[in-house]
Amino acid sequence: MRNLLRCEFAKLRRKPLFFAAAAVSALIPLGCALFLPDFQEFASGAEAVDGMMSTLFQMSAYLLLMPALVVLAANLLFEEQDNDTLKNLMTVPVSKSALAMAKMALLLLFSIAFMAVGGLVILLIVLAAGWEPVGFLRLFFVGIGQGIMMWAGALPCILLVVLLNRSYIVSVIVTFFYTSVNYIFGLNDLFITQPFGLNLGTLLPGPLTFRWYFQYLDFSNAGAEMLGLLERVSPYFVTTAQAFLVTGAEAAVFLALIALVYKRQGV
Amino acid sequence: MSDCIIETRGLTKRYGEQVSVSDLDLHVRKGRIYGLLGRNGAGKTTTMKMLLGLTAPTSGTVSLFGRPLKGNEKHILPRIGSLIESPGFYPNLTGTENLQIFARLRGLQSPNYIKGALELVNLPYRDRKRYAQYSLGMKQRLAIALAVMHDPELLILDEPINGLDPIGIAEVRDFIRALCDERGKTILISSHILSEIALLADDIGIIDHGILLEEESLRELEAKNEKILRFTVSNAPVAAQLLKGEMGVRDVTVESDRELTVRDLRLDTGAAVRRFVEAGLVVSDAHLYEDTLEDYFKRITGGEGIA
Repeated sequence: MRNLLRCEFAKLRRKPLFFAAAAVSALIPLGCALFLPDFQEFASGAEAVDGMMSTLFQMSAYLLLMPALVVLAANLLFEEQDNDTLKNLMTVPVSKSALAMAKMALLLLFSIAFMAVGGLVILLIVLAAGWEPVGFLRLFFVGIGQGIMMWAGALPCILLVVLLNRSYIVSVIVTFFYTSVNYIFGLNDLFITQPFGLNLGTLLPGPLTFRWYFQYLDFSNAGAEMLGLLERVSPYFVTTAQAFLVTGAEAAVFLALIALVYKRQGV
Repeated sequence: MSDCIIETRGLTKRYGEQVSVSDLDLHVRKGRIYGLLGRNGAGKTTTMKMLLGLTAPTSGTVSLFGRPLKGNEKHILPRIGSLIESPGFYPNLTGTENLQIFARLRGLQSPNYIKGALELVNLPYRDRKRYAQYSLGMKQRLAIALAVMHDPELLILDEPINGLDPIGIAEVRDFIRALCDERGKTILISSHILSEIALLADDIGIIDHGILLEEESLRELEAKNEKILRFTVSNAPVAAQLLKGEMGVRDVTVESDRELTVRDLRLDTGAAVRRFVEAGLVVSDAHLYEDTLEDYFKRITGGEGIA
């Protein structure tokens, strides 16, 4: 598996799509810092870190990371068919399931890197503005955790892409729909105020992730609207163990399904 | 045949109603080059794919190195080098980088494996040219390098000279011959180019519409080829009379006023020519004609030539 993963990294050489996708994680923090007036009026380093990291959690992760993961997955999973290299791999022999898992592992690392890059860019902006990055480390690791949860959350959509096999246009439509649903549901009271259990608020990555990371944000200087949201959602916060239990279980199920479907597709 | 490296029994592949390979019994002996000959679409590639486990047979069995392929892929496949259909590599990587990926997966630590394989096919090591920029011939050479890189005991090469220029074809032919003669490799090679198979193979299998029509050594096949003695003389009917009446030759055919053919090769050609001259005939030509592999192929497939 380690060899396969290393080979997956080697295949990325001279493939700008991957690195461009990772670099995109810097876009929203940079854009917000440069152009949004709210971001130029922080009173302290802690407020700046909190405000910018929440943008990373709410905007970058939902609107950029999720679709990027699915698009990159399509690129990775179909590159063997597109380049006719699958037959060479099968005769090594490499199992198709192991190959699919190596690709998913690469996406997990990408997801973590995406959130880490976003976090580090925020750190640089905070330092460049002369603030002390109070509370950064904790939120940085929350970001990493959210990266893992977003990766697991993207797996159902990746499974659909594998099932649709090569139909890029349909894949893009599915990705757009899935991303929108997760984003909207992740902000909708109907889903974020459900108890932990077998319901959409727990099973869908959008609401689940929100109910986990939201508790780590600092609300000491929050406005009335934000405090109202905190009051409504706080009874439904999920613990880290609960969040990762659901994430792990969903990841296991969808990874197995992806491996199965990928394996059944011909050489 | 106990020394078979490849042995199939009743190998069949159906795609819906269409039968691609039917009841194929293939025998590839150790240390020999087996040429699988057939027109495009005859079932050569499907057969090779089944031998490599890339396509599951509808029925029948594949044995490689004396063991069934099914269930033993992990032990058997590393002993095989293959090139199936067109070369397939990552276009964004160089030839060396592409081979590095497969070397890593095969557990080949030393870069010498890659260097040696590229040298064998006359491709540069650590060249900056990406695979996407390769010519068809270079791509084919890289695919051959991949097939031989791990020094396999058995090579399964599907149309390996496709896309090569005449010099490249000769080089690859010599190289394949040397792999067999000097390094004892067993090679199964498919082609629709008869002349190549005739120059290279020790044993030949002729496949047509998915059916293996013939499987023999080239020597046996040559022995089966029809041989005809053809005379061009001033009066063919008189010459035929002399052969039949005085020399006891039975199988004589008068083709025209001046030409006759003899299928009985026990005839002493010199004595026949001497007798024609003594009878006052002018002998313009006496020639032994032998069927080519293509003639044989046409005859047994009951159709047109192959290429």
